[in-house]
Formats: sequence, C-alpha cells, structure tokens
Amino acid sequence: MSDIELKDLLYKVADDQLILGHRNSEWTGIGPLLEEDIAFSSMAQDKVGHSLAFYNLLHQLGESEPDIVAFTRNAEQFHNSKFVELPIGEYDFSLIRHFLFDHAELIRFEMLSNSSHEGIAKIAKKLKGEVKYHVIHADSMIKQLGSSTTESIERMQKALNFAMPYALGLFEVSEYEEKLISNRIYAGEVAIKDRWIGDIQEIIMKTSLELPDTKILTPEYGGRKGEHTEHLQPLLEEMSAVFREDPTADW
Amino acid sequence: MYGSAQIFDTPKLKELENEDPVKLAEFEARIERGEKIEPTDWMPKMYRKQLIRMIEQHAHSEIIGALPEGTWITRAPGFKRKMALMAKVQDEVGHAQLLYSAAETLGKPREQMIEDLISGKSKYSNIFNYPTFTWADSCFISWLVDAGAIVNQLANAKGSYGPYCRALDRICAEEAFHLKYGHHCVISLATGTEKQRQMFQEALNRWWPPMMHFFGPSDKISVHSEILMKWKVKMASNDAMRQQFLDMYVPKIWELGFTIPDQNLKKNEESGEWEYTEPDWDEFKRVINGDGPCNTERLAVRKTAEERGAWVRRALKNPKSAYVTPLA
Amino acid sequence: MSALKSLDPRVARLNIPSEIELITEKEEQDQLNTYQVFRQMNLKRPFEHVGIVHAANLELAFTFAKEQYSRRQTCSGIWVVETEKVKTTDFTEDQESIYSKIEEPENKKGQMEEFDFFHLDKRGKQHVHIGSMKAENHEMALWRAKQELELDKPVYNVWVVKSEDLLKVEEGFQDIWDTLPDKRYREAVDYKAGDKLKEFKERMNQAK
Repeated sequence: MSDIELKDLLYKVADDQLILGHRNSEWTGIGPLLEEDIAFSSMAQDKVGHSLAFYNLLHQLGESEPDIVAFTRNAEQFHNSKFVELPIGEYDFSLIRHFLFDHAELIRFEMLSNSSHEGIAKIAKKLKGEVKYHVIHADSMIKQLGSSTTESIERMQKALNFAMPYALGLFEVSEYEEKLISNRIYAGEVAIKDRWIGDIQEIIMKTSLELPDTKILTPEYGGRKGEHTEHLQPLLEEMSAVFREDPTADW
Repeated sequence: MYGSAQIFDTPKLKELENEDPVKLAEFEARIERGEKIEPTDWMPKMYRKQLIRMIEQHAHSEIIGALPEGTWITRAPGFKRKMALMAKVQDEVGHAQLLYSAAETLGKPREQMIEDLISGKSKYSNIFNYPTFTWADSCFISWLVDAGAIVNQLANAKGSYGPYCRALDRICAEEAFHLKYGHHCVISLATGTEKQRQMFQEALNRWWPPMMHFFGPSDKISVHSEILMKWKVKMASNDAMRQQFLDMYVPKIWELGFTIPDQNLKKNEESGEWEYTEPDWDEFKRVINGDGPCNTERLAVRKTAEERGAWVRRALKNPKSAYVTPLA
Repeated sequence: MSALKSLDPRVARLNIPSEIELITEKEEQDQLNTYQVFRQMNLKRPFEHVGIVHAANLELAFTFAKEQYSRRQTCSGIWVVETEKVKTTDFTEDQESIYSKIEEPENKKGQMEEFDFFHLDKRGKQHVHIGSMKAENHEMALWRAKQELELDKPVYNVWVVKSEDLLKVEEGFQDIWDTLPDKRYREAVDYKAGDKLKEFKERMNQAK
C-alpha cells in the first residue's frame, strides 16, 4: 500500500471537513434560533477539528504541516466535493446539506474505524461519537421541519431537490479505489453510497418529503480531481487572508 | 461575555409607595442577609422591571457582540486560533441564551425581548457599534473588552437575583479560557514581527476611546441608583469598575511595549487612583442612540437573521401546548 | 437596490438591502415552549438542574441541551422535560422542610406510575435528583414521599415529574461525550505564554 492512495483518501476526507466546517461556521451569531445557533457552531468546530486530525496524519505521512496544507493551497489543489463549498444559502439548504453530508460521514467513519490502517482507525474511532451526535441533530431537525408547516415542507423539499446531485458528488470514485478496497483501508465510495441512500430514506419516510430518484440525477463530480465551482477560491482566499500576510509569523 | 455599563431608568421612587410595606421590608431584609431572590418570591414591580432590563441588555450585548468577533472566524490565521475563536464566539451565543433564560424567569418571553432589540427599544453594549478592521482588532476585543466584561460580571455575580447569579457563575466557568486566549493572541502580536506589533498598536489606538466608555458615564453625571445598589441590582459604580480595569490591565499593556493614546493616563501613587483624560460623553450618547459607525449594520444583520429564520421558528412551534414562564 | 456594505465578508454575502424597512415586530407565533434540562456530570453523581432550552419537542430539546449544557468538563447523561409538566411545591424558610407542609391529598385516584423527585436544599442552588417512586398522581407522590423519605436536612422546594414525561438520554449514548476532555483549546491551561512574555521583556531590557 503506497502512500499515494492513502493520501488521496485522507485529503478528500479532510478537505471536505475543513470547507464544510468553515461554511457552517458562517451561521454563528445569525442562526434562526439561539439553541440552533449554538448547536450548529459546535458541529462546525467539530468538523474543523476533524480536518486537523486528518491533516496531522497526512503530516506524519510526509505532507506539510496542517496550517500550511490548509491555508496555502489553491482551489485546484483541494479535493473536497463541490457540495461543501457552496455558499450557506438559507437555513433550509444548510440543514439539508448537514443531513445529507453527516449521514455519509457517519458511515464513512464507521468503515474507517475498522480500517486496516491503524492510524486512520484510531482517529475514526475516537471522533465517531461526535459524528453520531451530528446525525442525531440532523435527523431531529429534518423530521420536524419536514413535517411541520406547509411552508417548511416546501422549502425543505426544494432544498433537497437542489442538493441531491451535489450530494451524489460526495461519492465520486477515485482512481485508487480498487487498491484501497483490496487493502481493506475502507469499503469504498459505492458501498458508502448504497448504505447512505437507505439511511436517509429511513428518515425521509418519517416526513412529508420525497427523496429524489438518485438513478436519474447527474452527480456533480469533479471536486475530488480539483475541479471546483467559482465559490471555492474566494473562500480559500478569505480563510488564508491573515495567515498569508506572513506564513512564517507566529500568530 | 460582553456585559458592560447598563443603562438604567431613573428609578421612579413613587412607584414604591404602592407596594405592600411589610412584604417590601421582608424582601429587603432577605437581600441584606445575603440570600437570593428566586422567581416565585414576592418582589417589588420596580425590582422586576429593572432586573429584566439589565439582564436583557446583557443578553443583547452577547448576541450582538458575536458579530464583530465572528467575522474573523473564517479568516483566523491557523488552526489553533481558529478553533479557539470558534469556541469563544459560540460561548458568547450560549451566554446570550443563558441570560435570556434568566430574564425569562421574571415573566418576559424571550421572543419579546428579541423584538425589543430589533425595534431599537432595548440597548446593547455600545462598544460593539465599532468596526473590527484587522485581526488585531479582534484580538483587542478578545482580550481587553472581555477583561472589562469580566470586571462587570464578577461584581454582578454577587447580586441578589438567583437565576442571574447562577447564569453568571456558569458564564464565568466557560469564560476562563477567553481572557487567556485573548492575552495569548496579543502577546503573539507583541513579540512577533514589526508588522504584527504595528497592527496591534493601531488597533489599540482605535479601540481605547470606546474602551474608556465601556463602563458607562462617570459617576458624577450618572443616573442616581442608590435603591438599585440597596437591592443588589447594581453592584458597583461605573467609576469603581473603570478603576479596577485600568489597574489590572494598563500595566499589562505597557509591559508589552505598547503606548496607550492618552497622555494623561497615569496612576496617582498617593491616592492609588488612575487619572485619565475625561472621555467624551457626548460622543458616547451619540453612538448609543444610533449614530455610531456600525449601529445600522449590527441591527440590520440581527433583523435579517430574525426575518430569514422566522420560517424555522414557525415550523418548530408546537401548536398543542402553550408557553409558560420557565422555572429557576 | 444596493446591498449593505460591510467589513465582514459573510455579512456582505448575506445581501442585506441597505435601504429597506426591515421588520421591527415579530409575529406572536414565534415563541417556542421551554424545557427544563438536567445534566449528570459522571456516573457517580446525580442529575442536576442546569437551565432551560427552547424547543419543539423532547428530542430537539435534548439535541439543543447537549450543546448548550455539556460543552465543558464531562457528561454522562441529559434529561429534559417540558416546563409545564413540572409540578412544584412552595418554598420554605429557615430550617423547616417543605415536606412538613404537605397535606394528605383528597384525590387519591390514578394508575400507579413512576415519579421522579428533585430537591432544592439551599436557596441559590439548583435542584438535584434524589430518586423516584410510584404513585397515583403528583400530589400522592409528594404525600408518599413525605411518609417514606428519611431526610436528614430540610428541603426548601420540590419538583415532581412523571417519569414518562422526561426524556432520559444516558445509556448507549455516552460516546457522544467521549471527546469532551480532549478539547483543550477550550481550557485556560492551554494558553501559556509566560515564557514568551519573559523572553520579550528581557529583550526590551537589553535594548535599553
């Protein structure tokens, strides 16, 4: 198992967490309800913390330090999915994104907890409890907002329809997939996707929402290969604005 | 943790004449004994009204204060600062929730308090009507504005109203790292590159005047609040808190080699009091009444958040049960 | 219509109209109900009242309470109950226990079910869970407690809650609090700058 396959996996996992963590942090102070504001900020913090854990592992594998890796790369060097870089929009979109992403993330973490790579398994086992809470939160909110007022049902359905093709982009298969699976690093993107559809359907069934038919949607791929929307570069510039003023300085 | 000078109504002592003198005496005796007043206890209307106002303002300050600092989360340089700042700003929102909850026990629903904030009826700490231009501005707030708030808060934690005191205790416990984090950030700037030092010095020049306003108008031109002191609603005079702040933090600023933009600032070794140029209280009044650099923006953001989030709250409302005043 | 200009990039992204009359009033329907929250620091300690959350239902109340009331230290469980479902007694003064004021209720009817009790043993503190017992209704629960509890200290105030009204999140969920002790960046001890400061002061002194 050479490092290149591992790094590819770790970068996409960490980059997703870093970017989504930043997007979700944009709600701090302007959420629709104080309690929700607090919960969402916590989860954003968790995500950034998760990305740090994985960047640290990458550093052990020879990549640069986390601060450099996170705050000096440009858009085409990032391997996050297009889904996570989209602007926060209104709360319906952000919640749907949280719901769709975190269900996939929990499955991913469960698989990585059983990885043949000790370092990965250790991190995943440790942080899994946090993602478990993220899913609890997402499910509670989706169940409520997806069944409550006509207005909320309409909004959530619209957001779900819009988000689905992007969510499918999470499962873009990498060129190293076969190797990663045969080396038992994890069971692969297709396996995650299959379980994921079942998991989210289970929750959606408890609401008045309908899950779009994933078979007829075109997934928004490209993110894993460094092809991004126009939203990523400005976000990266913002994230690194102060850091880049002097990357050698101690802030 | 952004509680600062509260704006009190001039207590209308005439209102007290309508209160039951026996109950009033018992109430005041309890406070004198150092016991806490709890939500179900009898209390004079004025006490309830002033407390609601004070706690509510404190809560508004927390949620508005989250804005000038929150803007730096995405831009925070490096993981360490970013995680800390995310946690800190989240705490501030959490503190708003704790404080609104304490005020709610006095009978005013939270959404009504928020309405008063967005309508402009209720005030919040004036210092947040100023903009954060650089990372160093954010560090100033994290260190010195928090420091000021802690001076205020430690005094209020010894007040008479149980739920407020308990909220403050909880806030203090979470705050422990805010001040250290802020100081740590400033030390990094001070001991860093010339550019970093300059960034902070400029921030300090900008923020010093609003910081001198932070504890409210000087005692000699302040509202008379003897009864509020007696009832342990107001715990210390504005000047006393300002002196405490200066005594604790001016030396710490000077030891980092920064200059404070007030040539008259010095400690009178005989009296032990700090002397300083009298702050411009007209400017303070102007800004707090709406004419500051960021007032419009702060309220506009808050109103937008309320408006765009209304559909969520409507969807969360349980039509089967009615709101009741929370306990304790 | 132009958008509100701001130094804050995310505010700029919100596209707030700069010249529009924004709401100054909220709808009446906005106000959510409150839920009382109890937290258990670790398995050796009882559940204690910590505050409230606004929420739509018990599940959401727990979800919110977990972040608001267990962000620090440790936690092994959280209970939530609608404020309305908490029955309270009066307060007493001095050394008198509120139980001495409990009278035999007239209404002894009801199915026997479990009730949880929370005691306040000092003004200024918060209620602590002391246990549960079966009774026909809330008043009978207090009456039975009066007969059966052996109290060595006076109790100022009691909250009685039907156990089924409480959502208890504990066993099987402890892993969501696993990483709490690791979040050192939220602790003051993680911010040591003594050495840096000392070295800086020495440099300044040398320069003089």
